[in-house]
Amino acid sequence: MFYRLSGVHHANYVSDSRIFKVPADRNLAAFMFLIGIAAPFIIPSLYLNSYMLPWLIWTSAALGLNLVTGWAGQLHLGYAAVMAVGAYSSIHAARFGVPWEFALLVGGLTSSVIGSLFAFAALRVKGLYLALTTLAMQFAMDWVLTHSPAISGGSHASLQSPTLALLGQEITTDTGFYYVAFGWCVLVTIFMLNLKRTGLGRALVAVREKDFAAAILGVNSFYYKILAFATSSFIAGVSGALLVATFFFLAAPEQFSVAVSIQVLAMVIVGGLGSIIGSYLGVALILLVPGIVNGFVVSLSDWLGMQINVETLAHIPNAVYGALIVIILLIEPLGLGKLYGNIRDYLMVWPFDQFKK
Amino acid sequence: MNRVNKLLAGLTTVGSLVFGAASMAEPFKIGVCYDLSKAYTFATPQVAQAAQDLAKLVNMRGGIGGEPVEVIVRDHGNEPQRGIECYSKLSREGVFVFDTLSTPVSLAVLPRAMEDQRILMQSLVGRGDAVDGTVFDWVYPVGPTYWGQAANNIAYIKQVHGGDLSGVKVGFMYFDYPFGQEPIEILKTLSEKEGFELLLYPVPLPGSDQAGVWSKVRRDNPDHVIVWMLGGAHTVASKEMARNRIPMDKYISVNWLNEVDIANIGTETAKGIKRGTNVVGGQDVALYQEIMAELYDKGEGTGPIEKTQDVFYNTGLAMYSIMFEAARIAAEREGLPITAESYKAGLESLEGYDANGLMAPITVTAEDHGGGGKTRIEMWDGKAWVPQTDWISEYTDVVWDVVKDSSSKYQQ
Repeated sequence: MFYRLSGVHHANYVSDSRIFKVPADRNLAAFMFLIGIAAPFIIPSLYLNSYMLPWLIWTSAALGLNLVTGWAGQLHLGYAAVMAVGAYSSIHAARFGVPWEFALLVGGLTSSVIGSLFAFAALRVKGLYLALTTLAMQFAMDWVLTHSPAISGGSHASLQSPTLALLGQEITTDTGFYYVAFGWCVLVTIFMLNLKRTGLGRALVAVREKDFAAAILGVNSFYYKILAFATSSFIAGVSGALLVATFFFLAAPEQFSVAVSIQVLAMVIVGGLGSIIGSYLGVALILLVPGIVNGFVVSLSDWLGMQINVETLAHIPNAVYGALIVIILLIEPLGLGKLYGNIRDYLMVWPFDQFKK
Repeated sequence: MNRVNKLLAGLTTVGSLVFGAASMAEPFKIGVCYDLSKAYTFATPQVAQAAQDLAKLVNMRGGIGGEPVEVIVRDHGNEPQRGIECYSKLSREGVFVFDTLSTPVSLAVLPRAMEDQRILMQSLVGRGDAVDGTVFDWVYPVGPTYWGQAANNIAYIKQVHGGDLSGVKVGFMYFDYPFGQEPIEILKTLSEKEGFELLLYPVPLPGSDQAGVWSKVRRDNPDHVIVWMLGGAHTVASKEMARNRIPMDKYISVNWLNEVDIANIGTETAKGIKRGTNVVGGQDVALYQEIMAELYDKGEGTGPIEKTQDVFYNTGLAMYSIMFEAARIAAEREGLPITAESYKAGLESLEGYDANGLMAPITVTAEDHGGGGKTRIEMWDGKAWVPQTDWISEYTDVVWDVVKDSSSKYQQ
């Protein structure tokens, strides 16, 4: 009824390797894309600027982390540090006079190089040891940023970003910033959607499931791990640069601290490892829900005319938010993406499969 | 049809309720986007309480120019993204004076405030070079910068040593991140100028491990240790000092040392500890007494009375006295409603304002948004804070060199 299908059956390889195996999924994606394009005209500028824009940029970043953690199965606790590398090198390039298109590329490539250099050392160990090594990378980066004024700029280690300009066009409006973020997020999403059906994607999954089994099959697991780190670092670098260029306008070490690394990892885990829509949902939950719940609790207490201490008022949303994460992971340990998948599967051939039960 | 009509009628009633409320006398609002749940909670509750109490007091006395004032307190959890959200939301509601009391958030909001021409108050947090009004037109870090505060501490030490610092050893212990590193440059410059020996003691965050660094202090035996740490780190330091038999009176803290820290150290043990401050500590302050008489004695205080017995409460009173005083000047000179421009002019007309003896007198000008950066040294005598100096602001030429050097990089 909703999907107008009797099930997903493939008669040939072409249909099996489609991005969207169900037409309704494709239509939904197209619909979301159109909403994304129309967003500046239908969403009030406050929400566009303070919710949609950071949501899209962080989603791109989370997708990059999902590549290395969800697809290649390598736990990464220093992702924000890689974003910082991209952000700082792009801004320095742009301040040096490099056009922004190339500055972003420079940021991505620098992150990629540094990210995979670290991976070279880190990949000699596995699992939790790898996680700790990436955490060390985060701390090394924090230290470098707070101790080298040449990199991190002047007072309080903050570095002003020059005005973003793409294709000879200076971007200064909220709408402009939104479209830049939207464009990058769409690019990353398309890349990730396609990754699933390429040899690279399959190799990464093989490495994730069992790296020495993959090696027996002829998949060079070390090479693919490095490739995963390099690719995800590139995405991180550009996302970090765009985050500063379109949202913060100024880079500071706190924006890329260890807390942020853990936050991005939480986005990916709550969203669902290896799930694209899950990354969107996970970022929305981790990044936006605290602010939204906060606003909601404040207006609720105003509306009820309650005189609540501001401190209590600040802690209620945190409690609600924490409970929300626990509840979601209790209901579906595989994350929000899987939760969405469950609903979709249930409705796939609804109501006809109900007779079976 | 009938049902639709009812629904429409209901909607109009709700609508008129909502919009009716909005069309009442528009108060002068201050957007207080604070971190009430994460890193800055050692100070924000007291400061927020002071802001709310002071607003109540102002309203009881007829508001500003006949209009009420309102402080809108929101939590941003020290996340730059949520700080920007708070700023964007409130500024769309017509708020044009903001305070964040958080360095990361202040840094993140600053470019927007400059662009939108909204007033960003950032006393004691954020980038220090923002005192340069010629570059940062809309940012007002009224109060001392860490640079100025450190310079004043050196001036105090010079006073103690009878005006000659040659041969004196001054230790500088700091959190090894931008907050703590900021004064280093100025201390180095002053060490060259005055001839004292500067010893640096970096402490890794969050300052719970200071064993190594204090034994180093014992070996070096400096005459004074200027300390740029906060919260529980003070307590850890005091324990290590006792272990190494370093007398407490060598300790000169940054302004972030309050009664809670003193209680944790132990009121007797803490005897002799010093801090730089720009507000008068303790309860013997006219404004504090007025708030007690008119609010807390009548049970109308915003929060628990214990929170008011804290120097950060006085700090909050000082910060918001400045903001309301500027509004009062703006309303007097240019009438109501107060606009961002008239408020800015009001701030820049503050001259020798000390909120009736609550803080160091400040004079804000279009060039100096810091108000002069006066501080003094106070010493804990076991019961109360005893001032050791007048309100001083020394080595201003050196401080301004650093400020100008740093602010010139902002525009590049």
